[in-house]
Amino acid sequence: MSRIEVRSLCKNFGPRTAVEGLDFDVAAGEVFGLLGPNGAGKTTTVRILTGLLRPTSGQATVCGVPLDGDGEMLRSRVGLLTEQPGLYDRLTARENLRFFLKLHHRDTPDSWEAARRWMQRFGLGGREDDKCGNFSKGMRQKLALIRALLHDPQALFLDEPTSGLDPESARAVREAVGELAAEGRTVVLCSHNMAEVERLCARVAVVKGRLLAVGTVPELRRQTGLVEIHVEGSAGAAGEALGPVVPPCVWVAEGHVLRVTLAGGVSIPDVVALLAGSRVRIHAVLPAQRALEDVYLELTRGSETEAT
Amino acid sequence: MSFRLHRALAVTWKEALDLRKNPGLLASMLALPAVLVLVPTGVVWAWLRHPDIVTFRSMALYYDPTLPLNADPVRFMIDKLVADWFGIFLLMPVFVPILISSQSVAGEKERRTLEPLLAAPVSASELLLGKSLASVVPAVAITWLSFAVFVVAVDAVAWPLVQGPVLPNGMWLFGVGVVAPLFAFLGNGLAVLVSARVGEARLAQQLSALVVLPLMGLVGGQLAGWIRAGTGYYALQGAVVLVLDILLVRASVRLFDRERLVSRWT
Repeated sequence: MSRIEVRSLCKNFGPRTAVEGLDFDVAAGEVFGLLGPNGAGKTTTVRILTGLLRPTSGQATVCGVPLDGDGEMLRSRVGLLTEQPGLYDRLTARENLRFFLKLHHRDTPDSWEAARRWMQRFGLGGREDDKCGNFSKGMRQKLALIRALLHDPQALFLDEPTSGLDPESARAVREAVGELAAEGRTVVLCSHNMAEVERLCARVAVVKGRLLAVGTVPELRRQTGLVEIHVEGSAGAAGEALGPVVPPCVWVAEGHVLRVTLAGGVSIPDVVALLAGSRVRIHAVLPAQRALEDVYLELTRGSETEAT
Repeated sequence: MSFRLHRALAVTWKEALDLRKNPGLLASMLALPAVLVLVPTGVVWAWLRHPDIVTFRSMALYYDPTLPLNADPVRFMIDKLVADWFGIFLLMPVFVPILISSQSVAGEKERRTLEPLLAAPVSASELLLGKSLASVVPAVAITWLSFAVFVVAVDAVAWPLVQGPVLPNGMWLFGVGVVAPLFAFLGNGLAVLVSARVGEARLAQQLSALVVLPLMGLVGGQLAGWIRAGTGYYALQGAVVLVLDILLVRASVRLFDRERLVSRWT
């Protein structure tokens, strides 16, 4: 059963549409990536799903609570790491965490002990009574993440969780995310770090106001057609045979390998037929995978072209 | 969403900690009470050092032409000063919550702490009550403490002449006990309302502080002899402020909508 179900979700701010027609599901124990350029509606989506904003239309259920249901229950079941850590600088780390434990009615020695264990794990052990105003950006980010975990949420929404962290701390956070998912928690991760998304996320949604694509990383990499054609002789010469005939397709030659990005309704048989017609001898035709970053850029740029 | 007092008190706890660690704000909060206690005490002390009976009688007759010949004009003027001073003393319960609430409400926006807070299971009314308590309680406590110091100081200075206590009297006890808390709610309500509209704590303080202008105008009227201050007069002020308090609470509850706060303030 899905932990998060999103159906036709829309949000307008006055005449401006922030998100439109979002549909996706996230399972329990899944790490789900939410990718998109700045202003694409990722933060708005997260705010809606954490009960901070009301959708203009559409519906979603998070941890079994519909968005138009009990907001208090929803917020007690989700944890949110915001883009800005949002700590109280004059308060110590302990006071910052205790405040949120009090709000969740969990200001008990056991909960504090759990918080202390997280602090130890993220290298903040012994800094409990230091003012947060004296913390570095990375320390603040880690403390904000601990704050999001304090109340044992079923679903976690993390906005750029490793932003500003040194490699060691970033790895600790990534490992923690993996463990939280293994414990059955759902993690929604907003990030611009493609390597992190590829490493952590089982599935990814690319949004830009609307949903551009959703699937596993290998599915997304295959979604935009890239084919690798092994030819006899120069791949560059073979590519020349394609250029004037199928202008929407882009090709790159490297030795005997011709990589063709399919576009404009042109299919693999069309390309093969063109090459064969030009007397190019073909040894193999293989579907190729592209870097997630390339897929992401193509999807988001493609949506710009459609919009214009 | 059900109202839980423990969450409102958690907000108050956090605000109190934050206030305790803000020496600049604490100094601002204590400066006004010091002035409001020292100035009238100094005036009474100066009057009694060289009491010029003729001048005092002239001043007393300006304010009360029916003053009996056998009445002590210095005592009359001391009583008049103390009664009028309560109008200025009310600046304290208004101003202290403005200082605190502007920091705690608009300050949440400046420090970008509002979104994590609203993502916790705390309702707008719990947040509002928690923040209001953290501002009104210190304001009323400071007012009462300052009143106690003022009573001791004025009585100590005036004792050689009047041979008895000038304060506390019924008007001041009623004023400090009933009217001052109502004014504290007024200052808090205005600061919350203005803070929700503007982006900076300092601007919120400056705009909210404009409320002192009508109060100063009323005190001006008292000094000019147009308004005679007394228990009835301050009770009337309290009644007007009570109505304003109710209106401000209703407006603040409407304004403290989670969606409005998130989309405006984050």
